[in-house]
Amino acid sequence: MGLISKARVKSPWIVHYCCSSCNGCDIEILACLTPYYDVERFGILNIGNPKHADLLVVTGPANRRGSRVLKNLYEQMPDPKLVMAVGACAATGGVFHNCYNILGGVDQAIPVDVYVPGCAARPEAIIDGVVLALDKLSKIK
Amino acid sequence: MSLTELLIGLAALVLAPFVGGFLRGVDRRVTARMQGRIGPPVRQPFYDFLKLWAKALSLPNKASLVWAWAYLLLTMVTVFMLFAGQDLLIIFFVLAFAAACLAFGAYSVRSPYAHIGAHRELLQILSYEPILLLTVVAIFLQTGTFMVSGVLEHGQPLLLTLPLAFVAVLVALGIKLRKSPFDISASEHAHQELVRGVYTEYSGRTLALIELAHWYQLVLILAFVALFWAQPLWAGVLLALGAYFLEFVVDNVTARLRWTWMLSISWGKGVGLVLLNIVLIQFVFSSARV
Amino acid sequence: MLSGESLVAVLVLLPVATAAASLAIKDERWRWLLIILPSGVLIAASLLLLAQVLENGPLTFTPSGPWDSLILIVELVLLAYFVYVGVARRHLLVLGLGATQLVLFALFKFAWLPSGFKVQPAFHIDLLAVIMCLVISVIGSLIVMYALNYMQSHERHLKLGATRQHVFFFYLVGFLGAMNGVVFANSLLWFLLFWGLTTLCCYHLIRHDLTDEAEQSGLRALWMNLVGGLALVTGMSLAYQASGSLSLLDLTGFGTVAPVMLLPLALFCFAGFTKAAQVPFQGWLLGAMVAPTPVSALLHSSTMVKAGVYLVLRLAPGYEGTYLSAGIAVFGAFVFMITSVLAISQNVSKRVLAYSTISSLGLIICCAGINTGLAIAAAIALIIYHAVVKGVLFLAVGIMEQSIHSRDIEDMEGLVTRLPALAGMAIIGMVVMLFVPFGVLFAKWAGLQAAAAAPTVWFSLVVTFLVVGSAAGIVFWVRWIGRLMSHTAAGAGAPEAAPPEAEPRGSLSYLVVAVLLAGGVVLSVLAAPLVSYLISPAGAAMGYNPALDTAGWHLKTPFGFFTPWVLFVVIGAALLLPTLLVRVRTEDIRPVYLCGEHRASTAGGPVFTSLGDQAVPLVTGGFYWSRAFGERSLNVWVNGAGIALLAALFVGVIV
Repeated sequence: MGLISKARVKSPWIVHYCCSSCNGCDIEILACLTPYYDVERFGILNIGNPKHADLLVVTGPANRRGSRVLKNLYEQMPDPKLVMAVGACAATGGVFHNCYNILGGVDQAIPVDVYVPGCAARPEAIIDGVVLALDKLSKIK
Repeated sequence: MSLTELLIGLAALVLAPFVGGFLRGVDRRVTARMQGRIGPPVRQPFYDFLKLWAKALSLPNKASLVWAWAYLLLTMVTVFMLFAGQDLLIIFFVLAFAAACLAFGAYSVRSPYAHIGAHRELLQILSYEPILLLTVVAIFLQTGTFMVSGVLEHGQPLLLTLPLAFVAVLVALGIKLRKSPFDISASEHAHQELVRGVYTEYSGRTLALIELAHWYQLVLILAFVALFWAQPLWAGVLLALGAYFLEFVVDNVTARLRWTWMLSISWGKGVGLVLLNIVLIQFVFSSARV
Repeated sequence: MLSGESLVAVLVLLPVATAAASLAIKDERWRWLLIILPSGVLIAASLLLLAQVLENGPLTFTPSGPWDSLILIVELVLLAYFVYVGVARRHLLVLGLGATQLVLFALFKFAWLPSGFKVQPAFHIDLLAVIMCLVISVIGSLIVMYALNYMQSHERHLKLGATRQHVFFFYLVGFLGAMNGVVFANSLLWFLLFWGLTTLCCYHLIRHDLTDEAEQSGLRALWMNLVGGLALVTGMSLAYQASGSLSLLDLTGFGTVAPVMLLPLALFCFAGFTKAAQVPFQGWLLGAMVAPTPVSALLHSSTMVKAGVYLVLRLAPGYEGTYLSAGIAVFGAFVFMITSVLAISQNVSKRVLAYSTISSLGLIICCAGINTGLAIAAAIALIIYHAVVKGVLFLAVGIMEQSIHSRDIEDMEGLVTRLPALAGMAIIGMVVMLFVPFGVLFAKWAGLQAAAAAPTVWFSLVVTFLVVGSAAGIVFWVRWIGRLMSHTAAGAGAPEAAPPEAEPRGSLSYLVVAVLLAGGVVLSVLAAPLVSYLISPAGAAMGYNPALDTAGWHLKTPFGFFTPWVLFVVIGAALLLPTLLVRVRTEDIRPVYLCGEHRASTAGGPVFTSLGDQAVPLVTGGFYWSRAFGERSLNVWVNGAGIALLAALFVGVIV
C-alpha cells in the first residue's frame, strides 16, 4: 500500500447529509463523534463541507426534492470519494418506501459504496461501515 | 546576511513543516485528551496533508489556487527571514501580505461563505497586527534593534521586562492560530463556522497548501514567542511550547465569541497591555531605555 | 543650459500662461495641443532644475523687477475676491474669514511693515523643494493630460450645452503654477499669495459642475482653507514681531530658533493642517469628491494637500526638539489612525481614497513631528510614493466610474472580468499602497522605526497610533481588492461569459494610469538609489543627518535593514510563479458551495434554487461595519479629539 493510499485510509473526512430521515440515524452518527466512540482516533472528521470531504454519509431515503441537492453535493466532492448509506431507509427507502415523494434508497440518486443496515444503525455498525469504505478506498489508485 | 544565517534559514524552511505538523498533531491529541477522548495519532496531520494533496483538482477558479500558493510561499519567506535573523518589522509586514493572500483567495470566488470568512479574516488581522507590531517596538526598546539576530544576542531575557507584552502576544497567538475564543473566520480544528469560513472554497490541493502554510506560521509565531527568552534558547523553546499548551487549555475552556468582543479584547486589553509595558520600561526601568 | 532662474520662471509662469491661453481657446484639438506641449515642457524643466540643484546646491535668488508690488496687488485682489464670494454666496464664514484676513493683511502690510520692506531672497530652492516640484510637475502634468480624455466623456455624460472645459483647464493648469510657487517661495509674502491661489483654484475646481452639492463642497473647502490662510497671516505678523524677518530660511533657523517663535511656527503648521485636511478639517477633502475625477486626483496626489504637509515639513528644523514637535507627532499619528479606522466603514470608493489620503498625510506630518533624520527621510519618501500611487488609484477609479456609472465599491464587484486591464492596474496600485516591498511600506517601516527611536516622551503613544492605523489600512484595502477580484469562473458546459465591456485601452487616460503605475513600481524597486541620491541629500540640506545607509542597495537604519530588490525578487516570484505555472482545466472547475442548491451558473454568476423552485442569482456583498467604525458613531469623538489635540498643542506652545 503506497503512502498516498495509506494517508487516504487514515484520514477519511465525512460530510453528513440527512436526506429525509427520521433523525434516528443522524443521532447515532453524531454519537460516533462523542468521547464514547471517538471516531477522530481513526482520523475521521465531520467536516461539513463537500469540497473537503472524502466520504458522503447519507441518512434517510432519497426523495424527489432532496435528491437534487444530494446529487449536487456528490458532484462537488473531489475524487476519490465514497458514499455510505446509513440506516434501512437510506438502503431501500425503509418505512417510507411507499410514500408519494420517495424515490427509494439513496442509490436511486447517487452511486452508493457501503450500506449500513439498522433502524437506527448503531454507532458500532456505522464505524464498521466506515472501515469497509476505507477498505474500498485503499484499492483506489 | 552571513552564510550561517542563510543556511539556518534554509534549514528552517526544510524542517519547519515537520515541526509544525508534529505540533499540530500534538494539539489534536492533547485536545482530544482534554475532552475525554483518545484522539488521532500524532502523525495525523501528515496523513491529512498527503490525502488532500493527492485529491483530484476541483476548484471554483484558477485564482484561488494561485492565491493559496502565494499564501504558502509568502509565509515561507517570513519563516526564512525570521530564522535568518532579519528585520522583525519587515517579517510582520510580509506576514500581513501572506494573510491577505488567504483572504484574496476567498474573495476571488463569489461565494457567500468564503466572503464572510474573508471579512472575518480581515477583522482577525485588524486584531492581532497592532499587538505584534507594538510588541516588536517594545522588543526594540529593550534590545535597541529590530533585527532578530540582534535580539538573539541580547543577554537578558525579555520576558522579565516585557511580561505584559508577553501576555498580549498570547492573545495575538490565539487569534493568529484561530483558537477559541478567537476562531471567528474559521476554526483551526474541523469545527464548522459558516460552513468552513474562509476555507470553504478551497479544497484538495489548495487546502493542503494552506495547511502547510499554517504549519509554517505556527513555527514562525512560536519562534517569535521564543525570542522572549533568547538566551539560553532552550528556555525560549520551552516558553514557546508552554505558550502553545496554554492555547490548548484556553481553546478547550472557551467558546467562540463575537468579533466586537475579539476586537475590544485585542485593542483594549492587548494593545493597552503592550503600551502599559512600554510606558513602564520608559519610566520605571528608565535605564533600560536605549 | 538654461539658468536656474529661467527654469523657475518657466515652472511658475508657464502653467499660468497656459491657463490664460486655455481660457481663450474653446476648440477641442487646439486645447489638446495647448495642454500637452507645455506639460512636456514642465516635466523637462523640473528635471533640469533637479539636475541644476543636484549639481550646484540650493538655488537662491530674488527676481529683479517690480514683482513685489505685483504680488501685493494680486494678493489684495485675491483676498477681496474671497470677500466677494462670501457676499455673493451669502456664506458668513467665508465672508468673515475673508474679510478678517483682508483687514489683517492690509494692516500688517501697510501699517506695520516699513514701506519698501523686501524679503531677500524671494526664492530658495533646495532639494526638498525640487522633489516637491517634480511631484507637482510630473504627476500634475500627467493628471492634466488624463483630464483631456476624461472631461470629454464627462461633459458628454452631463449633456452640457456649451462646453465649460476652458474654465476647467484654466484652474487646473494654473494650479500647477501656484503649487510650484508655494514650494519655491522663501519670502512669506510671496508664499502667502501662492498659498491663496491654490485655495482659489481648489474652490473653483470643486464647484466646477455647479450643482448644489458642488457649490456647498466648494464653499466648505474655501472657508476651511481660509481658516488656514488666517492662521498664516497671523503667524506672519507674530513672526515679524518676534524676529523682524519674513524669510522661511530665517524662521526655520536650523534649530536655533527662540522659544518666542514657537507660536508663529505652530500657526503655520496649523495652516498646513487645514490644507492637508487633517482632523477636524477633513470635511473639505471628503466633499471635494463631487468634482470631476482629475480634480480629486490633483488635490489628493500632487497638489493642494501636499502643500500643507510641505509647509509642516519645511518648518521641521525650526521646531526640532520642542514641545511643538512632539505635539505634531502625536496629532499626525492620531489622524493617521483614526482616518484609517473611519475608512473601514466607507463603501464609496472616492471616500475611501480620501480617508486614506488624509491618513497618509497624517503619517507624513507625524514623521515631520518626530523630527529625526530617519523620520524626515520617511516623510519625503512618503510624499513621493503617495503622490504616485494615489494618482494611479484616483485616475483608475475615475475611469471605472465613467464605465460602470457608479463610485460604489459594491458595484465594482468582479471588475477583473469586466474591465481587466483597468481593474488589474487598480489592484496593483492598491498592493503598492499597502504591502511590502513597495515604497509606501518602506516609508512606513522607516517611520515606525523613527517613532520607536524618537527622542520625544510621547513616542509610545505615537507608535501605538501608527500600528493600529496600519492594521486598519490593511482591512479596507484588502476588502476593496477582494471586491474587485470576486468573480465566477466558467466551468465546463457553462454558457459563454459576457465579453469584457469595451475598454478604451488605447486612450490617453489609460496610458497615464499605466505610466504612473509603472513609475510607482520602478521607484519602489529603486528605493535605495532614490534614498541615496534624493531623499537623504534633501534631508541633509534641511540640516538632518542622513540616517539611512544605502550601500549595496540595502536600506539600512541603525536598527534594522532590508534589501528592496531582493524582497522584490522573492515576493514577485511567490506571486508570479504560481500565476504562470498553475494550469487549471475547465473540467476541474466546480460551482461554489451553496448547500447543494446551486444550479448551472449563468454569465451573471452563480444561481441557486430558492423557495418555489425559483432560480435566484447569488448576490454577495461587502461588510462595512458602519455601526462600529461609521462616521455617525465616531465623528463626534474624532473631531472632538482632533480639536482637543490641537488645543493642547497651542496651549502648550503659548504656556
